[in-house]
Amino acid sequence: MRLFQFLLIFLIGLLILEGVKYVAGLSDYLIPPPNEIITMICQKWRNFLMPALNTLLVAIGGHFLAIVLAAVVAFAARSGSVLSNIVKTAAYNLQAYPVVAIAPLVFIFLGDGLASRLLIATIICYFPLLLNFLGIFSEPVQDVEHFFKQTGRLDSIMEIRIRVFENLDKIITVIAGSATLAMVGTIVAEFLAATMGIGYVIRKALYQNNLAAILSCLLYIGLCSSFYLLSLEWLGKMVKKRLMA
Amino acid sequence: MEISAQNISFGYREAEYPLFENISFRISGPGFYSLFGFSGCGKSTLARIIAGFLEPGAGSISITNLDNILLTYNTERLPGWLSVGEHLAKVVSPRSSRAELDYFVSEFGLSDYVNKKFFRLSMGQKNRANLIRYLVQDFDMLICDEVLANVDEPSRNHILAVIKERFGKDTILFYISHNVEEVCLYSKKIFVIPAYGVTKGRLVEIKGLDTTKKQKEGYGSEKALQATILKVLKAASTGQNPEGET
Repeated sequence: MRLFQFLLIFLIGLLILEGVKYVAGLSDYLIPPPNEIITMICQKWRNFLMPALNTLLVAIGGHFLAIVLAAVVAFAARSGSVLSNIVKTAAYNLQAYPVVAIAPLVFIFLGDGLASRLLIATIICYFPLLLNFLGIFSEPVQDVEHFFKQTGRLDSIMEIRIRVFENLDKIITVIAGSATLAMVGTIVAEFLAATMGIGYVIRKALYQNNLAAILSCLLYIGLCSSFYLLSLEWLGKMVKKRLMA
Repeated sequence: MEISAQNISFGYREAEYPLFENISFRISGPGFYSLFGFSGCGKSTLARIIAGFLEPGAGSISITNLDNILLTYNTERLPGWLSVGEHLAKVVSPRSSRAELDYFVSEFGLSDYVNKKFFRLSMGQKNRANLIRYLVQDFDMLICDEVLANVDEPSRNHILAVIKERFGKDTILFYISHNVEEVCLYSKKIFVIPAYGVTKGRLVEIKGLDTTKKQKEGYGSEKALQATILKVLKAASTGQNPEGET
């Protein structure tokens, strides 16, 4: 369904673009005709699909790192200690900062390889995850925890287990939502300075004013993102189904 | 085994008036005690103060020979990742036994539902499952805050009779309820919080009928029950003690 929705939106976008070209009398050089775009998408699919898959893999890696990091920090900072308050305040303030702006620093220090793309993807989706995890991990589920607290059975593991289970829907939504951010982060990183991935292909196409190639990139990015989101949602459903069975 | 509250006062920060002022009461020795009052009079707040979850604004509570005070309330939930039976088996205390757990499960009518997850149960079944896990813990006093609120009346009566017979001799059961008949039937003493204004001074204390399961089944004195019910309702409505006790 998600894939179909994306294809529909992409098609509508393409039609609008061609409509604007027709109404404004723009040249084929600026906006290529539909047959040229379709040829590019179908015949040179390998030139776009492979970099898009490469980007997807890096995004998945960055996303996974961000989830683990956010969970660990939120776990450590969930109590009302001074450290937890510092972490919470820092997270709230940092998430308001446009993280993409520090991407050049990452490239200066780490070069234009995998590490930079991975790090930028991680930091772009990290803060929304951290803020949500902090909220979930530090909010007691009184009606479930009360018994364990009174009978001395509420250790850290049980506390987190209860809070995660009670907020499973929220966690699945946040993880799926941040997946798009990871994809965005990776593409931005590639567009800025990397030498691999679909962002790099877009950069090259931009320098050549090749709109057909850019549109092809957008299509394959959308397909890969939709596929990743679908997979995450399916995984979330399976986890929930198993726990609720 | 005694709880003695001396001149305790309590008010929520956001409230215009305090809930209690200088109230005193004493619970002495094991048995089935009740706390009765209309909605919003402060029953749950008092329960939380006794259990130590809230500090009174003024006054003191002295507790003697009561090492384990547990408080349970009707909106509590069991963790959702285990079946009811698995959870109960995991939390049964060393004092209690598997046989005792099975006895409660059977007496409370939950035998057919132990393999289900908690969220699949009806409200009444949830109340019963929650109460069972408290009954298999170590406690000297169990405060039950409307724990059977969603259970049908015949089952509730049976459950109360069962827990009174099992725990009424060596522990304090402190039962909070809106149901005047059941508090009158089973309680040794009923503490009544008046419905109007700020509760001041002593809680109204009414002697209950203190029946057991066997007595209840052959219970013939309807008059005594009606008289006690009237006393409790009068105390709850007016704050006066119809028995003239202090």
